Amino acid sequence: MTPKLIRTALLSALLMGATALAQAQSTIRIGAPLALTGGLADEGKKQQVAYDMWLKRVNAAGGINVGGTRRKVELITYDYQSDEKRAQQMAEKLITQDKVEFLTAPFGSGHTKVVAGVAERYGIPVMASAASSESVFDQGYKYLFGTLAPNGGLVDSMIRTFTAQMPTVKKIAILGREDVFPRSMAATMKAHAEKAGLKVVHNEYFPVGALDHSASLSRIKASGAEWIYITGYTKDLILVRKQMADLGTTAPIITMITGPAYREFIDALGPLANNVSSATWWHPSSQYKADDVFGSTKAFYDEFVAREKHDPDYVHASAAAALIALQKAIEKAGSTQGAKVRDALASLDAMTFYGPVKFGPNGMNAGRDLPIIQVQSGKVAVLYPQAVKQADLVAVR
Amino acid sequence: MSLYAQIVVNGLMLGALYACIAVGFSLVWGVLNVINMLHGSFIVLGGYLAYFAWLHWQVSPFVMLLAVSVGLFLLGFLLQYGLVNRVVSQPVLTTLTLTFGLDMILYNLMNVWFDATPRRISLDLGRLDLNGVIVPNDRLLAMLLALAMTGVLYLVLRSSRIGRAIVAVRMDRDAATLMGIRVGRVYAITFGIGALMAGACGVLMSVVFPITTNITGLLLGKAFVICVIGGLGTVPGALVGGLALGLIESVAGNFLGAQSAILVGSLLMLVLLMTRPTGLIGKRGYQ
Repeated sequence: MTPKLIRTALLSALLMGATALAQAQSTIRIGAPLALTGGLADEGKKQQVAYDMWLKRVNAAGGINVGGTRRKVELITYDYQSDEKRAQQMAEKLITQDKVEFLTAPFGSGHTKVVAGVAERYGIPVMASAASSESVFDQGYKYLFGTLAPNGGLVDSMIRTFTAQMPTVKKIAILGREDVFPRSMAATMKAHAEKAGLKVVHNEYFPVGALDHSASLSRIKASGAEWIYITGYTKDLILVRKQMADLGTTAPIITMITGPAYREFIDALGPLANNVSSATWWHPSSQYKADDVFGSTKAFYDEFVAREKHDPDYVHASAAAALIALQKAIEKAGSTQGAKVRDALASLDAMTFYGPVKFGPNGMNAGRDLPIIQVQSGKVAVLYPQAVKQADLVAVR
Repeated sequence: MSLYAQIVVNGLMLGALYACIAVGFSLVWGVLNVINMLHGSFIVLGGYLAYFAWLHWQVSPFVMLLAVSVGLFLLGFLLQYGLVNRVVSQPVLTTLTLTFGLDMILYNLMNVWFDATPRRISLDLGRLDLNGVIVPNDRLLAMLLALAMTGVLYLVLRSSRIGRAIVAVRMDRDAATLMGIRVGRVYAITFGIGALMAGACGVLMSVVFPITTNITGLLLGKAFVICVIGGLGTVPGALVGGLALGLIESVAGNFLGAQSAILVGSLLMLVLLMTRPTGLIGKRGYQ
């Protein structure tokens, strides 16, 4: 070996060692594939805002306490352009090239599944803030943890509350979008409604590309349903509600999953949004005292409103809660090793501004009393749970 | 009985909107032999312009119709004149790639400027009740305007100087050049008219439909199907194709369920492609 070659080898070994040392000592790297452009751009930006709020608070406090030393956090984000294949590539890149120790999942059940598959291979814990379909969590992934509760929890308390307040309601019409989450919410409602003694007078799915719902809505009108239950994404729900008004299709209860949880829904519909009900995973009026970087629901709410000039919705809250849960697990494990943090997450029982976070055996946050909401005079009112109730269910005129 | 009448009315309303979506696309494809991938984004752009004018300055969308039409015409004219004309005589894949790239730029710019939030002009114009058959006024108005615009385009193509030039270029580009028609300019004007129709359609849609960048591909797909059903390059073709698709989706949606409505429309397209590639009323040479 020539002296020159030895020098080069030594130097590169030294450099590699220094990089590894710097990484171990300095920051904790979290990778976040986000849909900042494309179809899910809105949702991706919501996650980004929430992650950033958490990041600022954590680093202002000196970082995460890992076994006695505080380490700052670095968030590495990529725009995966709402494209499933790109999400997968970005997750690979984050793990293999950017050497992140943890990942967050993208928006929605479908894309979460893809990223979770990659993370599982490398043993990287992945925090999902916007996946609620159990079909994502029943794949046996050990490193996937989600802050939303299973879909079934949303439906049960709604049937109980509504039938108690309007006992004359016996006939329900269900119309759902042919897509992972909306389909699951429609199917769950059908099963639970029949069990509760309601008669399902209409049950139908509409395809993803539907630009018109008048055929279904004309038939729902003829079915004499007293409760109309629609699932879909905001764009579908706006169109359905508008066409319902156009065609004179109405009922004492109109539920749209999860329209009223989004400000966009109320803005686009104006008076037509009034008295539409929904269930959601979180609402700012559910106040919790928390042992996290925010301290309380109110503190999170106030900071968010000051920054974004509008109310946060469940996507924001769930995204911030996902990183809080990760932080708690790292602190509990006293390490950033994937397997150790994974075990800490599995046994985590934390109270956050978002509510209690305790992951079940499949990695989903355990169901609790999820809020039922209704738009009343242009504002969202909480109907349930009792502790934070603001109003009674009002019939749609 | 009134349910059946309602199904037909629903189908016609939807069909007029579909015709409006397709007419500009069909014209550009038929005359220029350019598959304009920008078409869906042009529609959404028109919708957004109407929405923001209404939101910030309370301008009625029916006033914006004129402004958006002029704006989109200029945009289309300049794009064709400056860019597409350079490759317009190349094989269709070249122009397709160019408009595809332009569409990606416009689409992502709109995502950055406007977000993908679904937005709608929440005007309530009421509805007509004809013996139990409901006709929403805003859709009716949109339908009438769509028909009127399509009619004007038809007249322009038939009886104005530039219209005759467009038709001449469509029939035989080389002969038209020999007759002294400036083909490049005719192309640019045609592309401008295509963009104008798309923008105007977007304005009408913003009243009845939530506008978001997510639907650009969907609208483009509809335009494709309608052109194949109705026949390329002619105004009546787009009108017939749009109304046919609207009626089919409405009837199929009612009797076979919403899931099958789009399927039936696509099946019809396949059958037509095999048996009558010129479309229902298309001319030979434009299959």
